[in-house]
Amino acid sequence: MEDFLLHAEHVSKRYAGHTALDDVSISVPRGSVYGLLGPNGAGKTTLIRIINRITAPDRGAVFFDGHPLAPSDVRHIGYLPEERGLYKKMKVGEQALFFARLKGLSRNEATRRLRMWFDRFDIASWWNRRVEELSKGMAQKVQFIVTVLHEPELLIFDEPFSGFDPINANLLKEEILALRDRGATVIFSTHNMSSVEEVCDHITLINRSRNILSGAVAEIRRRHGQNLFRLEYRGDEPALRSALAGRCEVVATDGDAEPPADGAQDAAPTLRAPAALRSLTIHVADDKALHAVIAAANEAVALRSFAEEIPSMNDIFIRAVNGTL
Amino acid sequence: MSDMLLIVEREFNERVRKKSFIVTTLLMPLLMLGLMLAPALMMSYVAGDAKTIVVIDRSGVVAPQLTDTESVHFERSDIPVDTARRVMTDKFGVLAIGADILADPSDVQLYTNAASSMMLEEEVRGQIAGILEKEKLQSYRIENLDRILAEVKTDVHMQVIRNDGDLPSSGSSSIATVLGMALGLILYMFLMAYGAMVMQSVIEEKSSRVLEVIVSSVRPFDLMMGKILGVVLVAVVQVAIWGVLACGIGPAVMPLVLPDGAMAAARFVQQGGDAAMMASFDPDMLGALAVATDIGYLASLFGYLLLFIVGGCLLYCAMFAAVGSAVDNAQDAAQLQMPVMIPIMLAFFAEMSLLNDPNSSLAFWFSIIPLTSPVVMIARIPYGIPAWEIVLSLVLLYASFVGMVWVAAKIYRVGIFMYGKKPTLREMCKWIRYK
Repeated sequence: MEDFLLHAEHVSKRYAGHTALDDVSISVPRGSVYGLLGPNGAGKTTLIRIINRITAPDRGAVFFDGHPLAPSDVRHIGYLPEERGLYKKMKVGEQALFFARLKGLSRNEATRRLRMWFDRFDIASWWNRRVEELSKGMAQKVQFIVTVLHEPELLIFDEPFSGFDPINANLLKEEILALRDRGATVIFSTHNMSSVEEVCDHITLINRSRNILSGAVAEIRRRHGQNLFRLEYRGDEPALRSALAGRCEVVATDGDAEPPADGAQDAAPTLRAPAALRSLTIHVADDKALHAVIAAANEAVALRSFAEEIPSMNDIFIRAVNGTL
Repeated sequence: MSDMLLIVEREFNERVRKKSFIVTTLLMPLLMLGLMLAPALMMSYVAGDAKTIVVIDRSGVVAPQLTDTESVHFERSDIPVDTARRVMTDKFGVLAIGADILADPSDVQLYTNAASSMMLEEEVRGQIAGILEKEKLQSYRIENLDRILAEVKTDVHMQVIRNDGDLPSSGSSSIATVLGMALGLILYMFLMAYGAMVMQSVIEEKSSRVLEVIVSSVRPFDLMMGKILGVVLVAVVQVAIWGVLACGIGPAVMPLVLPDGAMAAARFVQQGGDAAMMASFDPDMLGALAVATDIGYLASLFGYLLLFIVGGCLLYCAMFAAVGSAVDNAQDAAQLQMPVMIPIMLAFFAEMSLLNDPNSSLAFWFSIIPLTSPVVMIARIPYGIPAWEIVLSLVLLYASFVGMVWVAAKIYRVGIFMYGKKPTLREMCKWIRYK
């Protein structure tokens, strides 16, 4: 039995004219990074707002740590909205203190932690500067600190990487993983699929207000494999093809997996030239056929590797949204 | 609750610490004083420039009796009018008086070389009329005419004494008019300025997107209420500073700058004496002095001012907050705030026109109906009105604030997440009914 920090059960939300969420349920395991995926306008931000108690669901309920979400729970949630903003005229330090105190920290405690984080991000000298003097990236750092300062159990990042340059995005990714390692649970919404594969343990894919796919990332990728395999070998391609004929379907030939050594330059092929590594992608109907395929291939060529082609989250995302999963 | 206090604290500190607040608070009283003194100063400046008029009197009756004043200087001459008009271009003008002026008083012409003023024309016309009247009277050949005229001339000082004498009132109605005007104007300015402040603040939070972070830890209602309370608290501090300044400076400084005896006379008036009896001072002047140095009365006025400013600002700030929540930027707000501006303007005009009769039924109703009551009621208070009217007005004002906050919170809660399209008033009314 997994330990879940947050459950949303059958949540629906309707606005005048359209349905933002339709019977969506998610369960976020404690101490994991949970990705909330979906195209623009799918309802991710609405779900996040409901979890933050910014808006109330029309139907359904949210449970935090086993009990129905209560006003005091927002103290244990840190939220970085997609549209980030700070008071432009306020000084950085005062502003950070204000937000920290809104989350229930005492003035002294907030000051102590802020000093620590400011030192860590090397921005201690900004304390008395106004926010309007900072660049966008600088303001984002301040906002990140404000989000995590009260050491919430649940962190929610809405499109955290948008607007960050690659270096700061990487910094952010490392901080998110570090927070998870210290025991926090992280929900983040994104449509950056490579970051999903790198950081998310679980995902939910929301499309047109509905939850269309949920689960552990590794499990989902395996489950949605299309029985495609890639084999690498040395040897004669026609021999391999004839050996495999009737047992499986060849999808693609990659030809030489590595550039031929010297071969191209030398007009006459030498006998001693090492045979190049070739590869072939095949589709195998089921596990029974797989035995025969491997046996036949093994006979025909020198098999170097044989691995399932696991689809990327990007493929799964596109197929799921297009309804071809 | 503690969240709301944090919001109040932030709003308050952000505004009070600004230099502009300190400057405004200290300069406003000076500005008000300047505005009141400006007309008098301008009058005396204009009058200081005396004009020379050449008088050609063919009757010989008027010219010898014309007297020079501060604004006009007469020169007698015998040359023909046409010649004078051509020659005397360095003078202000030529006054031609007909030969038979007594029988035909309209045979008077003033030819001027520059634009004349109403005051100057009035002065000249008045002098001629006075001379002619005197000539006509003398033609009756009454003995001792001068003595009779002196005896007939009567100056009436009417004392106005209220039967319900214990009402707080500034006594003289002309002082009450000035006080009422000033107080009403202050309230009007506060409602506009502080209402706009709340609206600006809501729009700023919305457009800088800082809102979403705040509402993830504070209920929208607490945020709105905190903002309104914080801004109203600033208003309270400002009025309190003015109150202390007025109560302190009035009685402390006045005796130093006024002529001897004036203070004693003012004290006499304060104790219920008759201003007209203090012959050496202008009664209105004395009344004003009595008000300005009466700490008790000043304090009670500022007390009322505070009560109505707090109530009025709360009410209007709630409405402005609702308007601000519905728009993305200040430009869009201009149109939506019309329904909020109209009652303020109405109250302002009502205040101006009703000062003549502070007890008319129109004045009464405008000072009871909550949207206009702060401005109109505070303007009526110096006249001395029954306590129950003030209490009723205050109770209705604060009750309507509670109602308005309820409505505004509903609009605010929906409005702050609406970006892009500017809503219509009908849509905003629909938001009130959302669950």
